[in-house]
Amino acid sequence: MAIKELHEKLVKREIGAKELTKSYLDKIEKHDGDINSYITVCPELAAEQAEAAQKKLDAGDAGVLCGIPLSIKDNICTKGVKTTCASKILEDFVPVYDATVMEKLNETGAVMLGKMNMDEFAMGGSSQTSYFGGVHNPFDTERVTGGSSGGAAASVAAGFCAASLGTDTGGSVRQPAAFCGVTGLKPTYGAVSRYGLIAFASGLDQIGVCADSAEDTALVLDVISGKDPSDGTSSEKAKGNYTALIGTSLKGKKIGIPKEFFGEGISDEVRTAVMQAAEFYKNAGCELVETSMPSLKYAVSAYYLISSAEAASNLSRFDGIKYGFRAEDADSYGELIKKTRSEGFGDEVKRRILLGNYALCSGYYDAYYNNASRIRNKIIEEYAAIFDTCDVILTPTAPTTAYKIGQQENDPVKMYLADICTVTVNIAGLPAISTPCGYGADGMPIGMSLVGKAFDEAQIIAFCDAYEKSFARKEVKF
Amino acid sequence: MRYVPVIGLEIHAEMLTNSKVFCGCANEFGGAQNDRVCPRCSGMPGTLPVVNQGAVTLAAKAGFALECTVNNYSAFDRKNYFYPDLPKAYQITQFQYPICTNGHIRVCDTDIRINRIHIEEDAGKLVHDDYEGISMADYNRCGVPLIEIVTEPDFRTVEQVQAFVEEIALRLKYAGVCDSRMEQGSLRVDVNISIMPEGSSEFGTRAEIKNLNSVKAIGRAIEYEIKRQAEILDKGGKVVQETRRFNDNHGDTKALRSKEEAHDYRYFPEPDIPPVYLSDEQIEQIRKSMPEPPNMRFERYTKEYGLPADDARLIVLDKDFSDFYDETVKLCPSYKQVSNLMLVELNRCLNDSGTAVCDLKFTPAALAELVKLSDAGTISKNAAKDVLRTMFETGKAAEEIAKEQNLIMSNDTGELEAIVDKVIAENADSVESYKSGNQKVFGFLMGQVIRFAGKGANMQVAKDILTKKLQ
Repeated sequence: MAIKELHEKLVKREIGAKELTKSYLDKIEKHDGDINSYITVCPELAAEQAEAAQKKLDAGDAGVLCGIPLSIKDNICTKGVKTTCASKILEDFVPVYDATVMEKLNETGAVMLGKMNMDEFAMGGSSQTSYFGGVHNPFDTERVTGGSSGGAAASVAAGFCAASLGTDTGGSVRQPAAFCGVTGLKPTYGAVSRYGLIAFASGLDQIGVCADSAEDTALVLDVISGKDPSDGTSSEKAKGNYTALIGTSLKGKKIGIPKEFFGEGISDEVRTAVMQAAEFYKNAGCELVETSMPSLKYAVSAYYLISSAEAASNLSRFDGIKYGFRAEDADSYGELIKKTRSEGFGDEVKRRILLGNYALCSGYYDAYYNNASRIRNKIIEEYAAIFDTCDVILTPTAPTTAYKIGQQENDPVKMYLADICTVTVNIAGLPAISTPCGYGADGMPIGMSLVGKAFDEAQIIAFCDAYEKSFARKEVKF
Repeated sequence: MRYVPVIGLEIHAEMLTNSKVFCGCANEFGGAQNDRVCPRCSGMPGTLPVVNQGAVTLAAKAGFALECTVNNYSAFDRKNYFYPDLPKAYQITQFQYPICTNGHIRVCDTDIRINRIHIEEDAGKLVHDDYEGISMADYNRCGVPLIEIVTEPDFRTVEQVQAFVEEIALRLKYAGVCDSRMEQGSLRVDVNISIMPEGSSEFGTRAEIKNLNSVKAIGRAIEYEIKRQAEILDKGGKVVQETRRFNDNHGDTKALRSKEEAHDYRYFPEPDIPPVYLSDEQIEQIRKSMPEPPNMRFERYTKEYGLPADDARLIVLDKDFSDFYDETVKLCPSYKQVSNLMLVELNRCLNDSGTAVCDLKFTPAALAELVKLSDAGTISKNAAKDVLRTMFETGKAAEEIAKEQNLIMSNDTGELEAIVDKVIAENADSVESYKSGNQKVFGFLMGQVIRFAGKGANMQVAKDILTKKLQ
């Protein structure tokens, strides 16, 4: 059910906040065993929050998210509630503070059902690298959810929450949203405070939303976005009111179709589905403009160099000294960190730390990190050139539909290349939204992405909403 | 062979901001361990640094104080290394784009170039308990704002180095950037030193001596290092590039780690902090807000106030002392008199009791009142010294003390004449002796006059009357 409808029911007392929360908790209890989308479920806390929300509702002072049950990716710090990043090294880590987004959600009276499974430290596109076991796609439990916000997307698809906060560093909200047949919004870099988001790649990370619709993502973004004095990279330009353009005419708008995003490696059924969506927009009066992003072929390499370099540095603090897992039987500091990190991190995380440190070593820095930064600038320029003429850009979200668990997670290069459609958005810091636009021969959802100008979320949300209203989305059935 | 040392310095100075550089914790010294830590400065996952604008301003002030260019654009980088006192496992510093560049300071008739001044955060401290066999981390110092001042290798003598460090310490203190308390570690010096044969211009291999915390230690460390390196070269050996630690008790240096063991810090731009932009207007505003530097103050004291150079230097050397002097002469422009009282009497009190100027019980205004009393002839110059000592001890006002101690000079000559007459009448023998040429007796008679007249008596007047009456 749409958040607006839930809100109305709550306001009109057709349903109580506690009752609503309980209905989600029951569903989680009954069905999440097959999905494994939650790492931690918080029934007591959720009940308390629902009760508090009910008071606000009763007092007639309730925002649209008041009493709405949400789930939160497990790399967003929640005071007093375990925040693991799906890693052994933070298996029992309980933050002493709330992320800024959590403060905002708490203040408005949203209910937190629990913390969502993910790829370890958000590194991956399958949600199979979690220390707590992989996430299963609600449409077909033998298939992956995508990642890294696989738990967030799956919980929305399965109806285990009204909406979920994920994080997106190279596609980690949009790609699982596509694989799980829901809507996923990655806001402009700086639109949402990162304070309290356990960093993977600081210059690329952004908290985003998985939900049933573009409108729902907008309603959540309205609450969590805005300049935060605790995050120097957050921006005044994030002004809220992201539903403002919904329902306005798309006539005369220009949609850029960058040809490189439809080339080799993109499956035929994905290409066809996205081009059909383009036709929808054409029929709505939009002009389709063929555009080009020549640097796309370097994007994945640049992304993995920059993100791994930042990750290597960000994850250095996990040394067993201050919090989290500490290895036993070490008799020096050097040995303690070696053992703690060797035992505490999974293989994918270690791979990225090694890659990142290699790229930063003196002697290699110019060849790797600096060249990656140059490509980054190039991609920013190429986006700017497209936006000179276009209002939004349309691309596939992922080259294929969700594959079977065990099929390709063990081939890192293949996994990395599958990020081709999403990483440039993070590299350029732009907003993008993914929504289902078809189903493959395997019955799995296909996602398309609308990319906007910086801080032009309202525009892509409106585009996305218009399409969603014409598209028959499949529901997960248990 | 005779050698010439080539020396460059890296000076770390803790900045006097109220809070730490990337969080709101108080920036103070001492206190209980881990008393001033928060999720940010203890590197909790998910926290982000936010730049303290006060630290940026102070770093820019340091730039002006040390005659550098203050840059419009500067940016932070991460310096990555593992150590338990560094909770994030990287130090935020300015590597590629420092806030100040290209300075120079003249000491001992030599121009010393300053390559750069950059902002960085301090690390914590490890406390080792050898008895328990454990080490503990104290993060109070984590995130304390530092500037690092890097010079070119322009020093050739110990004296230049010491004079430079003293000058820097003084200028930073005057600019309000750093309290320059080397003994507390708020100013720490790393010395890079190599030697080359006299007449040569090709630098040798350098050693770096870390964390020297007194001007004396700097001198001893350099002298030891010159000797050590000379012995190696004289024997045909090669100096190894390495980091060394100075041991104050033994007066020697020991190797910490060689070049091969040196860290690769894997610097890269800090993605959590946007670059710092200072507009020309902002930079100009900071420049205008700079307090008078010590060299200008010295000029003022010697040229405008007519103080002897030695006195002026002594006053300038201690900023608090000099500020006190300035406040006092603003209210009572007897430059020399105030200078004399402060340099002799007040300094003696301060030194004997180990008191700091900031802990004085009286204000510059109170001192000005004292000097006014003395200038007006209400109390004698000698009495002023006594009053100052009592002010130092009790904090009471000068006039109150002068009255209590009966130091107000009486200008009633009639009373004095009566006393003198009485003394002459009662000491006929002495008067006789004086008249027959024994000048020494005058002192005794004067003493008798003072005994009756009290200390407050105007000595000069009493002396004149006695002289007249004895003729």
